[in-house]
Amino acid sequence: MSGAETPETQDIEALRQRSIAAAEDAIRLASSRPDLHLVQAIQALDDTDKFLNITATRASEWYGLHFPELSQMVQDNVALCKIIFEIGGRGSYSPEALSGRGFTEKKVAAMMEARDRSKGGEISEGDLAKVKSLGALAVQLSALRGVLNDYVESQMKKTAPNVAEVAGATIGARLMAKAGGLDRLAILPASTIQILGAEKALFRSLRTGARPPKHGILFQHQAVHTAPKWQRGKIARTLANKIAIAARVDYYRGSEDATIKAGLDRRLEGIRERYKEPPQRKPERRDRPRRDGRPPRREKFRRR
Amino acid sequence: MSRLLREERLGRTALLTQNLAPGKRVYNEDLVRRGGAEYRTWDPFRSKLAAAIIKGLPDTVVAEGTKVLYLGASTGTTVSHVSDLVGPGGMVIGVEFSPRVAREFVERVARERKNVIPYVADARDPSKYSVARVDLVYCDIAQPDQTEIAIANCTAMLKPGGTLLLVVKARSIDVLKDPEKVFKDEKGKLEGRGFEVLKVFELSPFEKDHALIHALAPR
Ligand SMILES: C[S@@+](CC[C@H](N)C(=O)[O-])C[C@H]1O[C@@H](n2cnc3c(N)ncnc32)[C@H](O)[C@@H]1O
Repeated sequence: MSGAETPETQDIEALRQRSIAAAEDAIRLASSRPDLHLVQAIQALDDTDKFLNITATRASEWYGLHFPELSQMVQDNVALCKIIFEIGGRGSYSPEALSGRGFTEKKVAAMMEARDRSKGGEISEGDLAKVKSLGALAVQLSALRGVLNDYVESQMKKTAPNVAEVAGATIGARLMAKAGGLDRLAILPASTIQILGAEKALFRSLRTGARPPKHGILFQHQAVHTAPKWQRGKIARTLANKIAIAARVDYYRGSEDATIKAGLDRRLEGIRERYKEPPQRKPERRDRPRRDGRPPRREKFRRR
Repeated sequence: MSRLLREERLGRTALLTQNLAPGKRVYNEDLVRRGGAEYRTWDPFRSKLAAAIIKGLPDTVVAEGTKVLYLGASTGTTVSHVSDLVGPGGMVIGVEFSPRVAREFVERVARERKNVIPYVADARDPSKYSVARVDLVYCDIAQPDQTEIAIANCTAMLKPGGTLLLVVKARSIDVLKDPEKVFKDEKGKLEGRGFEVLKVFELSPFEKDHALIHALAPR
């Protein structure tokens, strides 16, 4: 057969040109570096958390001059700020105003009673307006926090599905932010990933000979922080190994590979089995001079 | 002369495909002249289809003029050789999910070869690229549910009785299961859906724990 230009081959050529154009559009879109937006989003999420905390604390403290009993009764800062903003001064409380906020009837009754016996002072309209603004800001920040969190979750699934699966979306995004993007994370050795976020401790250890950190951001991973102390280093190392693989697959291949997470779970299971018991201290290590030249630790530090 | 040549070199079989885009390399393969035409070397350690052919998959399966749906085109290494094999009268619809690897596929393969039609799409949704009936579906996407995906694509685009070549990477289906068992199970899935499995080619020593299943779709 030859490539003669029959009507059919012309049609195919037109189809092919359209397909190439569409494929190139899709490629261009993907190369607008969604990972860099993710890096900004996770940092914005962490910033928002801080602002939210500061703002809500201030609003609740200021409001506490007027109605100090309320903050004892409403543990959730954002819910408290919502009440401050939406209800305002003690005089405006009613069971209706408190309804629809997830409180039981009993709780509402208790709040009303606390209001009636409050030891708080009077507050001027002007002061109340300012406290309410702070409360409103906290509520908005909390909504923004939710939006950013959803964005990080869903973008991680698209941009770095394997890192998201292995490390979790937020921790994965934080690692990416520390590394400076998915491309950078994909070339970091596992040993670096293990201590990303623990730079201070690392430099201290290089300077003074103190023990190097076992984990940085990875400490936030529940497999690490819920583990007994003696397992944490091993778990963090295994986790870092798998994250390094996941980042490479995400960057170079871009498709999901369920074997990475399965492999991780198996390794973690193995570590938990093998190192069930706390280790015996190894005394011989302590006999060597320490890196900063101080003499070895003394006998009394040994434990048998 | 055939578009596929075999040569014995140092006791090993080497494969060559006739270059559809003469003078152009796709990766770092060698270009050689045979009988007045240019051929490209095809490394069975880099391409599972080449490995299967060396392990006995008949040359006639990917014959001149064949229309192929290729799932998991990746950077287009193997697609380029399939494009060589089917020649100007054939066609390869190449589907790749990851934009990052598809870039090379589009630039180096689809743009250079008139018989290659690229799609950056998910093989789970054949409606995005179901533009023609094909004679052969080649599937190498390394997904746990790839056999179902391959079957769905055959239903959408493969002519009755057409050929399915399914690459099975045991580790991406089930890490713990014995590869032999994985191959058998995937074969069973196809047979359960009316496919006739002609042969399962294990790809060692070229690939570890990989097989290529050669099957025919129901009529
Ligand atoms: C093992 S590689 C294929 C190698 C290629 N066949 C070769 O021999 O050169 C698997 C490819 O399938 C792609 N892939 C995975 N899931 C996919 C899906 N659902 N749809 C399309 N492509 C997919 C991956 O992005 C990856 O590039």
